[in-house]
Amino acid sequence: MPEIVNLRRDQLDALREVGNIGSGNAATALAQFLNRKIDMAVPQAKILPLSDIPGLVGGEEERVMGIYLRVMGRMTGRFLLLIPEKTTLKLLHTLIPGCTVDQPMAMNELERSCLREVGNILAGSFMNALSVLTRTPMLNSLPTMAFDMAGALLDAVIAEMVDVSDHVLMIEASFIDNLENMKMHIFLLPDPDSLGTLLELLGVK
Amino acid sequence: MPVVYPVGMADLRIARNPDVLAAYGVGSCVIVAMYDPKSRIGGLVHIMLPDSSGIEQEKVNPKKFADTGVPLLFQTLSHAGIFRGSIWAKLVGGAEMFPPNEDFSSTIGQKNVEAARLALEKIGIPIMAVEIGGTSGRSLELKLETGMIRVNILGETVKDI
Repeated sequence: MPEIVNLRRDQLDALREVGNIGSGNAATALAQFLNRKIDMAVPQAKILPLSDIPGLVGGEEERVMGIYLRVMGRMTGRFLLLIPEKTTLKLLHTLIPGCTVDQPMAMNELERSCLREVGNILAGSFMNALSVLTRTPMLNSLPTMAFDMAGALLDAVIAEMVDVSDHVLMIEASFIDNLENMKMHIFLLPDPDSLGTLLELLGVK
Repeated sequence: MPVVYPVGMADLRIARNPDVLAAYGVGSCVIVAMYDPKSRIGGLVHIMLPDSSGIEQEKVNPKKFADTGVPLLFQTLSHAGIFRGSIWAKLVGGAEMFPPNEDFSSTIGQKNVEAARLALEKIGIPIMAVEIGGTSGRSLELKLETGMIRVNILGETVKDI
């Protein structure tokens, strides 16, 4: 099992390419779903110490919607979508005609299921691109979702991945809709025991 | 002016009156606070996982696990001059952040709390108060002047424990 902190430059480049292809596909799917243009910040493959994780999306107490899915197949991992509060509300207002919900904690079942669908579409299109790239089927689980402090959602997602290492490998991308000032962040976190498999599939073992 | 020292994941810190120890955005992690009202010295450890057994000893970060982090906090405080007889503990955190579905369920928060309780029992430190479980993240500040912990949960009123 390769140690996360010892990854080589070419391996990190290959993981960044996973981010490019996966989030490119996800951005296209999101643009079609929302029927608007979506810009993407350059995806990154980062090896982060635990201390840097809670502040990833604007501070540990930032109020965000977290949509969380497991990745299943030869490679296993976690897929997390973090959407700031304002964007969460704008997404709902865009997607559901007549929707006027003004706080994520007051969402009804239709609104919740609409956001889960956004998670499904983004994770599905990301993993689909990765399956094609590696010629290996990968699937995402049903999404689960919570609105809370970013730090609290992130610690719950990474806890079981850091039993040995104090670092986490994250493939990260951000989507931006400048017109509506919407922003969201996606993270693919390969499980540490699966990292070797992923690197092998990418041809950079 | 009291200084506020944040304690991040898998970290441990001690301080004394009038300072404040804090942890922000705590989800399934458990914060174990220990405090000695006589010396007004206390500490926090920000635990992520219940149990370090099964992991190669030299790879274990003792501040990350309940079974190692709790005794380490006690030891650190002992060196700092607390009175062992008057020390107590409080627990905050251990939520299950994401609701379970057909593909997903987690009990990590609950396991962290159980392991922290067990570790405290082993070294004989009483638990004075808890703010644990549920499905919401928490932020907290331990004031070393009084040993009071102020807990913040989104959408709820502030609690002092």
